[in-house]
Amino acid sequence: MSEKPARAIKLNVLNEPKDSYTGGPSSLCPGCGHDQISNVIITAAWENGIEPHRIAKMSGIGCSSKTPAYYLGQSHGFNTVHGRMPSVTTGAYAINKDLLYLGVSGDGDSASIGIGQLIHAIRRNMDMVYIVENNGVYGLTKGQYSATADVGSKKKKGATNETQPIDLCALAINLGCTFVARSFSGSKKQLTSLLKAAMSHKGFALIDVISPCVTFNNNDESMRSYGYVKENEITLHMADYIPHFNPVEEIEVPDGHYRDITLHDGSTIRLETISSEHDPGDAMAALTALHEAENGKKHVTGLLYFDPSKPSLAEDLGLVEEPLLDVADEVLRPDKASLDALNAEFLS
Amino acid sequence: MDHIINDFTINIATANGTGSQSANLILLQSLFDMGVPVSGKNLFPSNISGLPTWYIVRLSDKGYQAPGDRTHIQVLVNPATWDEDLAALEPGSVVIWNSDTKKKTVERDDIISYPVPMSSLARKINPKIAKLVTNIIYVGVLAELLDIDQTCLETAVAKQFKGKATAVELNITALGLGRDYCKEHLTKSDAYTVESRKVEKPQFFIEGNEAAALGAHYGGVQLLAWYPITPSSSMAEGIINYIPRLRTDDDGNATMAVIQAEDELAAAGMVLGAGWAGGRGMTATSGPGISLMQEFIGLAYFAEIPSVFWDVTRVGPSTGLPTRTQQSDIAMLYEGSHGDTQHIVLIPGTVEECFEYGWRAFDYAERFQTPVFGMSDLDLGMNRWACEGFTYPDKPMDRGKVVREQEIFDAFETFGRYLDVDGDGIPYRTLPGSGMDPILYRGTGHNPMGVYSEKPEDYYNLMQRLRMKIDNARDELPAPLLREEEECEVGIVFLGSMENSIQEIDDLLEATGMMVSQCRVRALPLHSEVEEFVRRHKTVIVLEINRDGQLYGILRRELPNDLVTKVHSVAYSDGMPPRARIYADRILQTLEEVKQ
Repeated sequence: MSEKPARAIKLNVLNEPKDSYTGGPSSLCPGCGHDQISNVIITAAWENGIEPHRIAKMSGIGCSSKTPAYYLGQSHGFNTVHGRMPSVTTGAYAINKDLLYLGVSGDGDSASIGIGQLIHAIRRNMDMVYIVENNGVYGLTKGQYSATADVGSKKKKGATNETQPIDLCALAINLGCTFVARSFSGSKKQLTSLLKAAMSHKGFALIDVISPCVTFNNNDESMRSYGYVKENEITLHMADYIPHFNPVEEIEVPDGHYRDITLHDGSTIRLETISSEHDPGDAMAALTALHEAENGKKHVTGLLYFDPSKPSLAEDLGLVEEPLLDVADEVLRPDKASLDALNAEFLS
Repeated sequence: MDHIINDFTINIATANGTGSQSANLILLQSLFDMGVPVSGKNLFPSNISGLPTWYIVRLSDKGYQAPGDRTHIQVLVNPATWDEDLAALEPGSVVIWNSDTKKKTVERDDIISYPVPMSSLARKINPKIAKLVTNIIYVGVLAELLDIDQTCLETAVAKQFKGKATAVELNITALGLGRDYCKEHLTKSDAYTVESRKVEKPQFFIEGNEAAALGAHYGGVQLLAWYPITPSSSMAEGIINYIPRLRTDDDGNATMAVIQAEDELAAAGMVLGAGWAGGRGMTATSGPGISLMQEFIGLAYFAEIPSVFWDVTRVGPSTGLPTRTQQSDIAMLYEGSHGDTQHIVLIPGTVEECFEYGWRAFDYAERFQTPVFGMSDLDLGMNRWACEGFTYPDKPMDRGKVVREQEIFDAFETFGRYLDVDGDGIPYRTLPGSGMDPILYRGTGHNPMGVYSEKPEDYYNLMQRLRMKIDNARDELPAPLLREEEECEVGIVFLGSMENSIQEIDDLLEATGMMVSQCRVRALPLHSEVEEFVRRHKTVIVLEINRDGQLYGILRRELPNDLVTKVHSVAYSDGMPPRARIYADRILQTLEEVKQ
């Protein structure tokens, strides 16, 4: 048990201060939406009372994938290769299914080079949280459009994007993903509650977070700029899914009205909370909401789809109860008698 | 007429998907059970049904296992290759042919012809499956002509159709029809015959892929992540097939996971994930799969993640000849991925070694914290080879430098993931979930503490340490297998499945008066004994089944300068398993050129 500090520091159910969940300093552009998401990850993990070392931080390549260095410094992590984080996570999960796998990815990672791996991780209902920090551009290579850039998006310099975007949430719902949400990097409270719910979900939880690029995508004609999102975001009701154990704080859900949130840079965003009539178990309604938002050139946020009934990959694998990591070597290697018997059978 | 006993080659031409494989395996197994040294090569197309297939059975009291230089007995069932197969026969050859084949006949007076109405005979048994039964009819005819033991045949049938009483009965009846037809209508006018042999040690037949699969189980494999590809699929399926028997507890729960991945990239990623998490992960693939896995191979090398990759090689480049054999991935495996890399490659030449390296691969991967490759090939992996039995691992699993307990962790003065504490280039690691010294693994440059770094000295030192680490592995890997003549005249360095042709090549060369030593390389990086072998011999030939002499290239680069000049390459590949005469002739030609 840790000693009670002289000055009252807020502790979670594990008596851990929030500091136990932080990471190194960020090297992203000042004001980057991704840093806000990192902070939400820290808060959500702390509030959910997860032992930090029982989290595995997974990522691919890109601005978003650099962020695991900036949160959860007590967790092991793997900054893998471009678009391949799902497969590495799947392999790690097969060996140690008791860790919480928290993947962070970008739109280049998830909608282009790694879309196949994302799809198949969803198909397997891999037990993980998968956050897409979605800004519609390739930041590290200085601002090329990604596959989620909307038609009509215009870079500060260069041509307008004429290629239709991939909507990862619609894709995920169609694939039968068991937890699909969209949020905005500036919507700290909504994103925190969604992430806390996702961390408690048994199965694949996708959160597509619109996270505007302050350097390459922040002119008002871009549909993922602060200015654009601020004016055009509509929000489904916030996640009120209750984690499997008692949450540290109640998640307050302001149903049926608007809320303006001030972003770090002083701008404000209107979160529109859709009526609680939206049933997250209704895939058709979720797809309709996405479709209508697209037609209206808006982004709809919130918990779009949720299905806790499907078996996750762990159940499919038919493994022993303890993680394979903990199975003794003498059990992993069949005994000599078994080989003697095989040799004898082959010879008979 | 003199009999030719246990020294001839049978070539059976059929179409694939007609059930000929079962018939051919029955023939092979029955000869094997008679104690006759025999080998079978399945030359099959990349196709489900209807394309030409040849099965070559070679009987050789000398134990030669390569396909012979010529066919002595040709079985003609497939009209598609009929004319070509017939034309290729040398005078004096024997042809057993299906006389019910429309528009096809055998009109050569320099060969011995046995027409058999195979289709009509088969229809007598069951018209619905006549095509299937046709195959077993020719086995019956061969059995009668060659004097194959009926008990051995029946045992082989029982083995082939384990527990399927109807199939066993049907096949034995068909064998009898073939035999009876032969007795009643044909007069033996050829010299070929089979005689039983006493076998000193009992043996069984098994494919290299199944042997490697069993080996993986005895290595305690925890994750198999794979994507189907010829000729490796039967290794993955072999692992899967033995899970219920070897890896499942009383409640039906397994101690290993199997994931059929969406592609080879994902399969490799899963293997790395397993290694990163502290488990034993492997994949089985072939050259095209390894091409796709290059990115992850580099990550495994650079981030030092134990991982096991089996490459059952086939003919490249590109899709190449997917169902033919070659040793053309040596360079790709040894130096896989971009940047400076060097990998451990285990190269079995026998089914016993497929089993042994199947489990040892994990020990090496965890000990050296690096990707380890098993390099088999289609010939070794998918054909059946004689085996005296598998040997149980002689030591406990080597899990390498993993810090699992807090006490041990606390004893480190400084702990860094990539800190070379012992001076052997192998650092210590902690596992995710352990709570000990967490780091963010990365494929980017890093310092000994595992933190991102672009500092020149960090990068330089890291690359030097990685080189030292793999270099240190040399003499811990399987040593070359040496069969040396005292004269140390000509030394042949070779690898893998060439093992099955080398003795015949050796004999052909020695028949010209020279003395030939053999050195079978069983791992990369090269063991120091390879260099000593080269040093001892006057002239060294590096013999391999590819175009460019990939192993030769490695020797040339790694041997001291004074030895390089006496090493010469003989590399040849046409997709076929190595026929001894072709390689022997090329060696003689090269030796001639060297003299001049």
